[in-house]
Amino acid sequence: MTQISRNLPLALKATIDEAVRSLHQRVPAAIGCVIATVDGRLVSHVVDNEADPPRIAAMIGSMVALGETIGREVRIDRSQYVVVNALNGTLLAQRVPSRKELFVVSTLARPTTNLGILLHETRTTAAEIGRALDEWLDRYQAAAAAPVVT
Amino acid sequence: MSEIKLLFAGPMGAGKTTAIRSISEIEPISTEVENTDFAESSKAETTVAMDYGELTLDTGHKLRLYGSPGQRRFEFMWPLLAEGALGVVVLLDNSRPDPLADLADFLSAFGSQIGAGRVVVAVGRLHSHPHPSLDDYLDAVASRGHFLPVVDADVRRRDDVIGVLDVLFEQIQTVDRASAASDADEWLQLVQRARTQ
Repeated sequence: MTQISRNLPLALKATIDEAVRSLHQRVPAAIGCVIATVDGRLVSHVVDNEADPPRIAAMIGSMVALGETIGREVRIDRSQYVVVNALNGTLLAQRVPSRKELFVVSTLARPTTNLGILLHETRTTAAEIGRALDEWLDRYQAAAAAPVVT
Repeated sequence: MSEIKLLFAGPMGAGKTTAIRSISEIEPISTEVENTDFAESSKAETTVAMDYGELTLDTGHKLRLYGSPGQRRFEFMWPLLAEGALGVVVLLDNSRPDPLADLADFLSAFGSQIGAGRVVVAVGRLHSHPHPSLDDYLDAVASRGHFLPVVDADVRRRDDVIGVLDVLFEQIQTVDRASAASDADEWLQLVQRARTQ
């Protein structure tokens, strides 16, 4: 089993926290960045406005899953990301690519932010978190497979 | 023929996705993802947005069956999915730690449907976990000032799910008849008042 339980491993959590802070700094006019589990639990966030991070986490979990379901349903294959383009900002959400896809990442920015930049930076962060998760999974599985010394 | 929207609600693991799969005549639309919260449930997967299925009745009416995610953090989805629903099936799992608290949560969440008498409560895993009993559920519902049918159901069995929907439709028809009778009473009183004036 490779459970990510309620408490993430500290090293992985620290990497994700740093990735979120970095994403928030790199995106021009960013309002917030949220990482959630695929089933909508808050993992890490930097949010500047009054939006409630746990609620955003649940909503982006639903949104990404619904986007992927719709993609399959209309035969355009798996969705890469989901965008909400609103009057006063843009929210982009996507899965974190990894051997075990457990997280979604989302970035919220003001309307002045170019969508391409938002996509590029969010994707870069998603890949970074994905690598960290894969490395943790490798270590976890190696430790689990190691012979027990009594 | 008309289309009727129904919603299956209830806590995580109560069987909403299974119930829709049991009776849907189309391949259900699902938004199940990996469950990362083993404190909540040991299920491998969980619904995070909605389930959807369809069932055509002998009358030709088509039922559009929606399932909601069960965890409290997804409560923003509940009113969205309940909008326009003719009725709600609240599924409960008697093996959960406090199913009567689950009942209270979902009766609160779907207060407007309950007020209109368009809800049935279906309790699963009663045979392996006999407490609380159906009477305990009825008492809990009554203590909130409602009268709702509470039934035992194994949602893996198509007949059980169809049976739950039968009870729901009976309940809705009873409420509608009572409402029509009440409207008729009001009309009669109006006519009588007009005659006496």
